[in-house]
Amino acid sequence: MNGIWVLGKRALREALRTPEALLPTLFIPLFFLVVNVGQAAKLFPSAKTPFLEGQNYAAFQLPSSILLAASFGSAALYLVEEIEGGYFDKLRATPTSRASLVLGRLVAEAAKNVAITTIMVLLALPFGVRIASGPLGFLILLILSASWAVVYSGFMQLIALKSRSAAATNSGGLIFFPLLFLTPSLVPREDLSRPMEIAASLNPVTYIMEGMRALILQESAWGVIGWGFAVVLISGLVMVALNVRAIRRYD
Amino acid sequence: MTLAVQAEQLVKTYGGRGGVVEAVRGVDLQVAEGEIFGFLGPNGAGKSTTVRMLTTLMTITSGTASVAGIDIAAHPDAARKKIGVALQEAGLDPRQTGRELVVLQGRLFGLSRTEAEKRAATLLELVDMVDAADRRIKGYSGGMKRRLDLASALVHEPDVLFLDEPTTGLDPASRITIWDELRRINEQGTTIFLTTQYLEEADHLCDRLAIIDGGLIVREGTPAELKSELRQRKNLDQDPTLDEVFLDATGRSRERGAGDVQEVQG
Repeated sequence: MNGIWVLGKRALREALRTPEALLPTLFIPLFFLVVNVGQAAKLFPSAKTPFLEGQNYAAFQLPSSILLAASFGSAALYLVEEIEGGYFDKLRATPTSRASLVLGRLVAEAAKNVAITTIMVLLALPFGVRIASGPLGFLILLILSASWAVVYSGFMQLIALKSRSAAATNSGGLIFFPLLFLTPSLVPREDLSRPMEIAASLNPVTYIMEGMRALILQESAWGVIGWGFAVVLISGLVMVALNVRAIRRYD
Repeated sequence: MTLAVQAEQLVKTYGGRGGVVEAVRGVDLQVAEGEIFGFLGPNGAGKSTTVRMLTTLMTITSGTASVAGIDIAAHPDAARKKIGVALQEAGLDPRQTGRELVVLQGRLFGLSRTEAEKRAATLLELVDMVDAADRRIKGYSGGMKRRLDLASALVHEPDVLFLDEPTTGLDPASRITIWDELRRINEQGTTIFLTTQYLEEADHLCDRLAIIDGGLIVREGTPAELKSELRQRKNLDQDPTLDEVFLDATGRSRERGAGDVQEVQG
């Protein structure tokens, strides 16, 4: 645990010292939020759109942007930089647990994501967005989002550990975009065309997005939230296990 | 004689698209406690691969090795506590300050925050880095990075310090500074195992040397022994230089360059 803690703190310090890498994580998802709402809000007036539960379209769109921000983690890029630069070997030469070498950065990604999601929600409040599930719901939203940040950063770290290449790791990050588009990001799943509905139902990101949306739009849709948590928990465990396996076999 | 490093029939092979590459083909090594041991060889001879195996950074294909009496394959974590490592190129985190890096290293070796800070202060003084300690590493010169790398490798007071080409790329003044620091560290009881491309460095610093070529040890002894052996074998009027010993041992000449084998890094 000591290794995870000190390496996590170092990763947070590193993020704070490179705001030029951190700020796009916040601004790009907000940009997409503004653009998507600007394009489609008139089609979905809150009074005539039951799936908005009385809120505006920004509330419906916010989870997409939160998920996008959670998928912009920099852990893998810093890791691959350390692998290429040789510092990773210096860390590997210490007796700290192999797991902490990968988990430290993932814990830092979770912490960074809590801050970013909080800022995004606070920025959305003046535009009429409310967290219908209340403060507890907001806390759960943060946990869900931070857990997805761990899953996605874990996936990226896996590419970094296997490829040891910055180019391959960067390319791996692009996988998120198809996953984000194959979700009910613009309308609820039941309003999608049949092929899209099938694709969205097979996409794990859908359940996390729906869980977040339920927390923002509804008071207590625990079933939907539960699915979101189940997906993020299973994928998180798989990703952490794969990361630990990769570092133990790293040669 | 108590041994700080011992390797028996150490082998490392890699499987690649072009077939199996034997980087190290049965290396036997014995380094006594308190020695400065030089490990020489042309590019691709297997130096770095051997060091990476001995420092637990790379798995051993076959053979055995121990550092400070600990079998490195069976007990890698216990061995790491006894080993200090400063690898080629001084790969350091450019976003940390020198002090933060040494403290972090101490924490990863199990020191408390207070102990690590205290130890960092001592080491930064030892390598003459006090003034630059709170500046970010990205602004350091090559020589400063090497000295900081040395300090971080010493944070847990290792029994054996492995240095992979510690002075490559440094100007003569920085190189002499590193030599002085290595002697000082060695005088305090730390065994030093270093690879170098500079034969003058090996001659100047090392108590004993081994020359590796094609993954095998081809010469071993004190610098004086190696020179004397060549002088007698070739009936020379005076002792040859270590350069001549190296060229003789590796079969290299000024016409035939080193680096026939591509060395694979981990």
